[in-house]
Amino acid sequence: MADLQDQLHATTEVGELDDLVHEPFPAGVFPPDTAEPYDPVSDPAAAPLERAHAILAAHPVADGYSGLPWALRHLPWFDLELGESSVDTDVPRLREGHVGALFWSLHLPEGLDGDRAVGATLEQLDLVNTVVRAHPEGLRLAYTAGETTDVRHCGRIAVLLGPAGAAALGDSLGILRSLHALGLRVLTLAGVSWASEAGLTRFGEEVVREMNRLGVLADLSGASDGTIRRALAVSKAPVLFTRSAARTLRPHPANLSDELLAAVGAAKGLCMVPLTAEQTGPSVRDVADHLDHVHEVAGRECVALSGTYDAGTAHPQDLADASCYPNLIAELLHRGWSEPDLALLSWGNVQRALRSADFTARAAQQRREPSTAKIAELDG
Amino acid sequence: MTGDTGMTSLDQARELLREFPVVDGHNDLPWALRKQVNYDLDARDIAVHQNAHLHTDLPRLREGGVGAQYWSVYVRSDLPDPVPMTLEQIDCVRQLLARYPEQLAPALTAADMESARGEGRIASLMGAEGGHSIANSLGTLRGLYALGVRYMTLTHNDNVAWADSATDEPGVGGLSAFGREVVREMNREGMLVDLSHVAATTMRDALDTSTAPVIFSHSSSRAVCDHPRNIPDDVLERLPGNGGMAMVTFVPKFVLQAAVDWTAAADDNMRAHGLHHLETTEEAMKVHHAFEELHPRPIATVSTVADHLDHMREVAGVDHLGIGGDYDGTAFTPDGLNDVSGYPNLIAELLDRGWSKTDLAKLTWQNAVRVLGAAEDVAREIQATRGPSNATIESLDG
Repeated sequence: MADLQDQLHATTEVGELDDLVHEPFPAGVFPPDTAEPYDPVSDPAAAPLERAHAILAAHPVADGYSGLPWALRHLPWFDLELGESSVDTDVPRLREGHVGALFWSLHLPEGLDGDRAVGATLEQLDLVNTVVRAHPEGLRLAYTAGETTDVRHCGRIAVLLGPAGAAALGDSLGILRSLHALGLRVLTLAGVSWASEAGLTRFGEEVVREMNRLGVLADLSGASDGTIRRALAVSKAPVLFTRSAARTLRPHPANLSDELLAAVGAAKGLCMVPLTAEQTGPSVRDVADHLDHVHEVAGRECVALSGTYDAGTAHPQDLADASCYPNLIAELLHRGWSEPDLALLSWGNVQRALRSADFTARAAQQRREPSTAKIAELDG
Repeated sequence: MTGDTGMTSLDQARELLREFPVVDGHNDLPWALRKQVNYDLDARDIAVHQNAHLHTDLPRLREGGVGAQYWSVYVRSDLPDPVPMTLEQIDCVRQLLARYPEQLAPALTAADMESARGEGRIASLMGAEGGHSIANSLGTLRGLYALGVRYMTLTHNDNVAWADSATDEPGVGGLSAFGREVVREMNREGMLVDLSHVAATTMRDALDTSTAPVIFSHSSSRAVCDHPRNIPDDVLERLPGNGGMAMVTFVPKFVLQAAVDWTAAADDNMRAHGLHHLETTEEAMKVHHAFEELHPRPIATVSTVADHLDHMREVAGVDHLGIGGDYDGTAFTPDGLNDVSGYPNLIAELLDRGWSKTDLAKLTWQNAVRVLGAAEDVAREIQATRGPSNATIESLDG
């Protein structure tokens, strides 16, 4: 694909509204070099918790799912900069937990997923914009892999927009493009006629192609097996599972069977293991068991973390809020995880997925016009 | 008419428009593209003449001396779910901008408009036509702003829960408390408040509330032609104090009394055929044409529109006028202003009526740029002291 670089050029002015990729040449152009030399940042002789802090300071957590937007919607007043005890996430605790980036979920509660989903999603996006702008010292919005790194270099925590539910699209690719223009970067493919238990319809596949063209990552946590398999086949960008652990260890519907984990590994997707008692178990060790398993079955490049804080679920002991990540990393060190693998787990793999999405979008935009497909035409 | 220079008025008009092109307040091309070809932009390539289908294409915009266009992202107000459709309309405009980057320049600010003029491209802005497009939500209003929408008409032909339309029964009697909050939030964002289509009571309430200049994106004078879509003199008189502008529209059924009457009969005929009276599909046009065979249509002309401008200038002053053709949003257009290539004819007519070049530059370009810039200044000022409003219609209107 290297020959494509000659064709890359700045997008037209309309692209400026898009907040598309700004870097001329994302690193995701080439597959990550697994033999990349790694400079250790921690003292192997130090205590695991101390080492965990040192590693996370260099390779912060990119957290795949935060329910904060909906949680904040019902608070009359809050200050995330100062600390906010009514939620699990605020800037001091994010800093303590070495969180460098997090995906803010735009999922809507049940009952808002019908006709009102589009408007309600606009309101969610507006809320996130307002909240992030109100905390400029702590938070900053990022739309690409490069911007995420930039934000980190500025000492801020990157907020990425998504996942949103598929209902937010109102069955229209035009709406998908408008939501992308507003910053949406992850969409969960479940709960709509075109991504149901039966799998992806023809329109559903077109949605995935258009998402690839725009640089919106597919989230398949909670999607049906049929949808997962089809999306893995159709998507040219890596797919995410923003809240999925190992079904072998815990039979939760959103957890992945070994067969699917292997398929995710083969497709270089990302299984982001949630820190919830329901999906992974009541202790840090349970979470570590899942990470061990996903690491082994899907591979070191396909496992990541998903705090799932403020999403209305109970968390394992010692992982009660966003400040607790070092406890988990310490446990993994104790189990013999190498520093390079931990660096991939916390930050590197998510960066790779974001970069691949950026690059896939750039490449697709050279080949494809915006899709004019309509659900009525494709799904009849 | 030939002036001292030996140039005809039309030549002079064209020369003038080269320097100060037209900012048009309202064009419904996106809706026409939706209705005619379901956004298949290949099927209506506006880089070439589309005379058979549309009032608007790039060659005719050039011919007409258009330098900036507010594209309407209108959706019908009588359908249940306006927000998703509005996003599709916005996507349509963005696709047009992506397809024709050498001709159309995305514009979000007054400065962008000036840059586009400097580059010889047509500055492209968006306006939402009707408060129904925000579904009673200030968050959605801010979403539209973030997507590039720079004015919102407070209503279309039907009332919204918080504002009365000119063409509906009185509801809240102008603006409700939430309606006033919508206006304040538009001021805070820097989105122009558009008072075309709204009831005179709403116009007055909005003028009382808005701290930024307001616009009428496509309305003419009620004193010249008594139609509810036009602006009463007492409202025009308030524009100098507010700093806003009225962009004269060409729609015959609003500007010519004979056409007003004829249209009432034609609308009845459309409804009798089971069609929405604003439909412009080919089928609807057939029904229209059949009616016209029997009842010759009164013809508006360039001079009809100029009569409105003369009067509006007397009442509001030349600093508060502009142009909003409503092309592709109306079935019929005046003679001489048949499509977007016609603006020079209007300018020539005004030259003949003694309008100075300085005045015409204000009418075509300068007023509109000033008004958007002023709204930006007001927004900056408000944002320094006030955050986004969390008000809901339930909390304010009970």
